[in-house]
Amino acid sequence: MKLLLDLILRIDCWLLLAPLLPGIINKVKAWVAGRRGPPVLQLYYDLARLWKKGVVMSTLASPAFVILPALTWVALLSAAMLMPLGPLGAGLTFRGDALVLLYLLALGRFCTVWAAMETGSAFEGMGTVREVSYAVLAEAALIAAVLSLSVQSGSIALATMLGPPLGAGAVLLAAGLFIILLAENCRVPFDDPNTHLELAMIHEAMVLDHSGPPLAAILHGASMKLLLFAVLLVQAVLPIGQLQPLAAAAVLAAGVLGVTVAVGLVESLWARFAFRRVPLLLTTAFLLCLFALLVAWKGGPA
Amino acid sequence: MLLVLTVSNGLHFLVAWEVFAVCGYFLITLDGNKRAVRTAGWLYLATSHAGTLCLCVFFGLLAVKTGGWELGPLRGDASLAPLFWLALAGFGIKAGIFPLHIWLPSAHANAPSHVSALMSGVAIKMGVYGIVRFSGWLPVPAAAGWVVMALGATSALLGIAFALAQNDFKRLLAYCSVENIGIIMIGIGGALLARSHGDAAWGRLALAGALLHVWNHGAFKALLFFGAGSVLHATGTREMSRLGGLWQRMPWTAGLFALGAVAVVGLPPLNGFVSEWLIYLGLFDAVAGKQASAWVAMPAAILLGLAGALALATFAKAGAMIFLGAARTKSAALAHECGNWMRGPMLALAGICLGLGLVPTLVWPALTSAAGAWQPVQSGGLSDCGNGEADGQRAGYPHHSGPGIVPAAVIGLTIGETHAAKPSAGGAPAMAEVPLATLGWVQLGLAGLMAAAGTLLWRKVMANNLRRGPTWDCGYAAPAARMQYTSGSFAGLASAWFSWILRPLRTMRRVHGHFPAEAIYQERVPETVLDMVILPLAARGMQVSAAVRRLQHGHLSFYILYVVVALAALASLVLLENVP
Repeated sequence: MKLLLDLILRIDCWLLLAPLLPGIINKVKAWVAGRRGPPVLQLYYDLARLWKKGVVMSTLASPAFVILPALTWVALLSAAMLMPLGPLGAGLTFRGDALVLLYLLALGRFCTVWAAMETGSAFEGMGTVREVSYAVLAEAALIAAVLSLSVQSGSIALATMLGPPLGAGAVLLAAGLFIILLAENCRVPFDDPNTHLELAMIHEAMVLDHSGPPLAAILHGASMKLLLFAVLLVQAVLPIGQLQPLAAAAVLAAGVLGVTVAVGLVESLWARFAFRRVPLLLTTAFLLCLFALLVAWKGGPA
Repeated sequence: MLLVLTVSNGLHFLVAWEVFAVCGYFLITLDGNKRAVRTAGWLYLATSHAGTLCLCVFFGLLAVKTGGWELGPLRGDASLAPLFWLALAGFGIKAGIFPLHIWLPSAHANAPSHVSALMSGVAIKMGVYGIVRFSGWLPVPAAAGWVVMALGATSALLGIAFALAQNDFKRLLAYCSVENIGIIMIGIGGALLARSHGDAAWGRLALAGALLHVWNHGAFKALLFFGAGSVLHATGTREMSRLGGLWQRMPWTAGLFALGAVAVVGLPPLNGFVSEWLIYLGLFDAVAGKQASAWVAMPAAILLGLAGALALATFAKAGAMIFLGAARTKSAALAHECGNWMRGPMLALAGICLGLGLVPTLVWPALTSAAGAWQPVQSGGLSDCGNGEADGQRAGYPHHSGPGIVPAAVIGLTIGETHAAKPSAGGAPAMAEVPLATLGWVQLGLAGLMAAAGTLLWRKVMANNLRRGPTWDCGYAAPAARMQYTSGSFAGLASAWFSWILRPLRTMRRVHGHFPAEAIYQERVPETVLDMVILPLAARGMQVSAAVRRLQHGHLSFYILYVVVALAALASLVLLENVP
């Protein structure tokens, strides 16, 4: 019974809190620009509205076009269940769950990409190509980051990997993971979620043809992914495992809020990069994670 | 082929191997009236014999050193170690490890599709089998693990980079086989490394992953080749840029191909993920062990991740180009679904992919006994018994050991002491636990959730009213099939990073002038290793031979002159020897 309650609480936490993040980012951007901006809860209103709407589907697309967003959403939710939440711990923890998490993200990507290609649109093709190509570099950086956490803690289970303090490599890892967060969630230097110039987009270009409930699933999934990466970043860098439960929860929440505000600030202060410079930035992220790995290797207890 | 697996005599092995290789040639050239097929078959025969030559030397030297053709565990004799390189080259050609893979793409592309499925699924695994068998029986050089793992990582990355750049979908699948052989080699390399460090826990994991991947690759690659065969049958072309939109005409093939694609990319909840996960676990443990082997395990893990992401791009491309979007040519628009006889095997293979993915514990007893046979637990005196399989059982690999746990008891008992002696391997026995059963439940749960969420969303969409309309091309009024991304443009961004090895051949004619002629852009990725390394070398060899051949001209008088000169030379040699 307690287990069930815990599970429901955890799912609610991910489902209900995730759409807050894009709202906060938009608020920060509006604040920097001196505007009032949309309400923080805007995404909730959007989701509720989309859920009631009808769907227009391309004549070229198969029924999978409607189903695949649900699969992406499930993959992301499952990944979120594996991610420990500070004092709550993970919904399920076992050896090697870090790799399952990475591959669940890849599964989500595959489903999104497949649905995008269903439409036969050149714009979706463009977004897809960028997504899968940049994912190659992002994947290398993520594996290096997970390796460095694993070397540091001597474990491959996320719950124990994210506990101990990281020492000197923390700064490197934080920078690397932050860049990965921006890339994986298609935030500003890589992609502009606000743009209406389709040529410049990655993620938005892939979901151009979606509408109604599937679009709601996609938007909600994207916000969960953002929360997932923010939680990963905070727990990878801060020694949350050593605090009292309440303090840990507070630090985690504050950390996620900080990361969100930082994303908003980056988006307000930077312009999107030219596409040929994107691989450079991702390689930088990879190198940062690699150096974090080497530091963890040489610095930790032998 | 079965004979190769069962014989225990070196000479018989060679004969069986040769029969198997020649049968492969006849299978490839079933459509022997096409020039490309004959070339591919010839290339296969030539490279295959180069491999057999290595094996002849290998078995010959083995027979000379041991004094007999009987094969059996010979761990003790360290002087046999260098022979491993010969075996690696010989079997590596068959398996298609990266620089030796030259025969593989054209042979797989030109063979009939069911033969390609057999070759990719089973035949190239014989090379893997050979490497595993002889590295298990013979002592291996210290560097073997490093070399095999480095070769594996190279194969995995470059194989999939070549696959991404292909336009011919059967060549794409063939290069993807090179990648998967690379993944298997990473696992075997990990096992060899672990053995040379006397630290078997993670090596067993990597080996178990590699062996499972052999099975998995057999299942999903055969499925994909059958799918490719049915597309080829329906449309008559292997070029992806001439296909598109086939799901409407061939929904079964499209769905099964998509399933195979998810499996081959190594995504949960299918079988490809299970074996890759095991190999990853082995590599991560190796890195966490912080020993010298970590230096090679670390790049291997990262390259494996890179290869995985590239595989995702490759199969997103293949699936999208063949089955999604709008038909690019008339033949694609008029395709037809394959018959029941073609669909049946695909369904069976898809069932295997799903079954191995959702219930991975089924195969665990077989895997542990195989890994145990490969490396018997060093409790002394076991390595001299005749048959490898008996080793595994006698070493007490409990077939009934709780599924999901590397026989931790055994490792803890026998390898544990060595670990305790090495503090740097901190806690490795505890690390040896593999929650395979948990992974099985996760995969099952994931599949169930996906089915539930998919159905729910479909129902909701139906309730909300689903309308059909043309693809929204950002306001453009007349989107056409030619505006879609093609296979070349899809691969362009990522394969540009590999242009140093892919060396694409471009033909381009731009539009210019007032009355421009037709503009042309063609791009083709050659088999770089064959075209730029092997063929020039072979041409040089032919030049030398041609020069030497001038001696053979058919004039009897000159032949008599050769004989006289040779006699004179020999005579003078003898005389000079006797002078002092």
